[in-house]
Amino acid sequence: MKAPLILLGYSLRRVRTLVAAMALLLAAFQVLLILVAGSIQGSNSFEQLGELIPPFLRQLMGPSLLSLMSFSGIVSLGYFHLAVMGSLVGLAIALGTMPTSEIEIGFMDMILARPLARSWIITRSIIVMVICSTVVLAMMMLGTWLGLTRFAPAGAEWPTLHLILMLVTNLSVLMLCWNAIAMAIGSAAQRRSAAGGLVGVAALAMFLLDYVARAWAPAERVAWLSPFRYYSPFELVMGERLPLRNLLVLAGITVVGYAVAYVLFSRRDISH
Amino acid sequence: MVTLARRAPSLYNATGMTEHAAQSPISIRGLSKRYGKLAAVTGLDLEVNQGEILGFLGLNGAGKTTTIRILLDLLRPTTGSASIFGHSCQKDSLRARSLVGYLPGELGIYSDLTGRQVLDVLAGLNGKPVDKKYRGELQGRLEFADADLRRKLREYSTGMKRKLGLLQALQADPPLLILDEPTEGLDPLMQESFYQLLADLKRRARTVFMSSHVLSEVARVCDRVAVLRKGELKLLTPVEEIRKLAARRVHVFFAEDVTTESFLPAGVEPVELRPREWTLTVEGLLGPLLHVLGGLPVSDLEVQEPRLEDVLIRYYKEDQ
Repeated sequence: MKAPLILLGYSLRRVRTLVAAMALLLAAFQVLLILVAGSIQGSNSFEQLGELIPPFLRQLMGPSLLSLMSFSGIVSLGYFHLAVMGSLVGLAIALGTMPTSEIEIGFMDMILARPLARSWIITRSIIVMVICSTVVLAMMMLGTWLGLTRFAPAGAEWPTLHLILMLVTNLSVLMLCWNAIAMAIGSAAQRRSAAGGLVGVAALAMFLLDYVARAWAPAERVAWLSPFRYYSPFELVMGERLPLRNLLVLAGITVVGYAVAYVLFSRRDISH
Repeated sequence: MVTLARRAPSLYNATGMTEHAAQSPISIRGLSKRYGKLAAVTGLDLEVNQGEILGFLGLNGAGKTTTIRILLDLLRPTTGSASIFGHSCQKDSLRARSLVGYLPGELGIYSDLTGRQVLDVLAGLNGKPVDKKYRGELQGRLEFADADLRRKLREYSTGMKRKLGLLQALQADPPLLILDEPTEGLDPLMQESFYQLLADLKRRARTVFMSSHVLSEVARVCDRVAVLRKGELKLLTPVEEIRKLAARRVHVFFAEDVTTESFLPAGVEPVELRPREWTLTVEGLLGPLLHVLGGLPVSDLEVQEPRLEDVLIRYYKEDQ
């Protein structure tokens, strides 16, 4: 068991700078959003802000717009802002294609020339993903807590811990889902750029599909294909419960993705 | 010179022979690997004996690296099988790989690591402890200073990377070494050190399976050679046998002009014939030629050692 743990430790050391930088940036982003929300609250401008939003965007956001145009809503935005989701899904894809990168560089030759099972390469990558996503999301929550305790104006309505935990839970499963998709595709690919690029484009397309479907009925019919459909921050901000069905769908895609990755990686030729 | 002290880790007994000595270090049966229509290796049969150094030769694309990668279970064969000390390289690959030290043709390591980190990570992945004393001795033989190991790989020259590759392959003192072009990028002095290292390994009954393009190196260090061409084994023979196959070049000097060559015996081919000097190639024994020369006014005779390259290159090129 020592050899797999050494590989795990080595892999974590390799990604620590990237993950630490991203965690700090996203934590700082939460604090920034709280400062912005505090500023808007201070000037009592949430209503005016709502009027500035273009009609099509209002239609997209529906009744959740009202919930968003509040101190609590702006703070919660830190968990589904486009930049945040892009960064987290990007991290998930980068970590998911880690084995492909190791094949490409030739490091996999050095690893697998040792008595190490191929399945451990995928298991290691999943553990790295779980640890890294936990660290990043925990740092985001820490940023929210620090921001609220230090910078929230008196009388501002904080988002509940329950809401933040629901958003984080849903977001973490979404990240795992994209990590699994990236790992499955990466396990059959020769180049990380090809695998990462393909999954990245697919993620962007699925994200757009989910949004377009909210305003355009024909797209709604295929919107169920998008994993982003099963991340419902607006509903959560409006006070709805975390839909178990969404979590199950995302978890299902994740399990299938990892299973495909195990099978493909165990059967493939390691050549670069 | 530093000598490699014997150690007695669990894998080896006191005589230095491995627990697996009864099995061939490498056994390959009917091995083929195809990439679509391209046959990288075709019907390869090969047995490597305990304690020998086998040179695995062939032009680029002949299938050498493919075979090595199948032995390490990095590639899966289309048909056939391979085993290391009796452990199937596919079905029991963990056991097989635990007995191998591998030097790849290109060291695929992240350049932001130091030499020491590379050695430690790869030693850890072996699953059994590395004898630090033995590693230190190897380091000395390969002239690797501690200061060099503290530097990042991006600062390493090609030769230093190669030395690091050798160090990581040898550090666990495995019973079988698979080396892909081990002296590529090494300077002549370091090549010499490496040859001496190989000789020590051989004395300690380690088996070495090495691919190489340097035929003089193969002639010097290998016991047998296997020549691959277009994925097929064209020659598998002891180095000494190849020398016998090689034609020797003979210069004959005469005290007076000699004009005829019609009575040259079989196996002797003229290269250049001048009245007072003949240059000939002789395959096989020299006796028949000496018998003929006995009747001529020979003043001097010069016989050149047969060159392994002359024979091997023939196998590289010819369709035989």
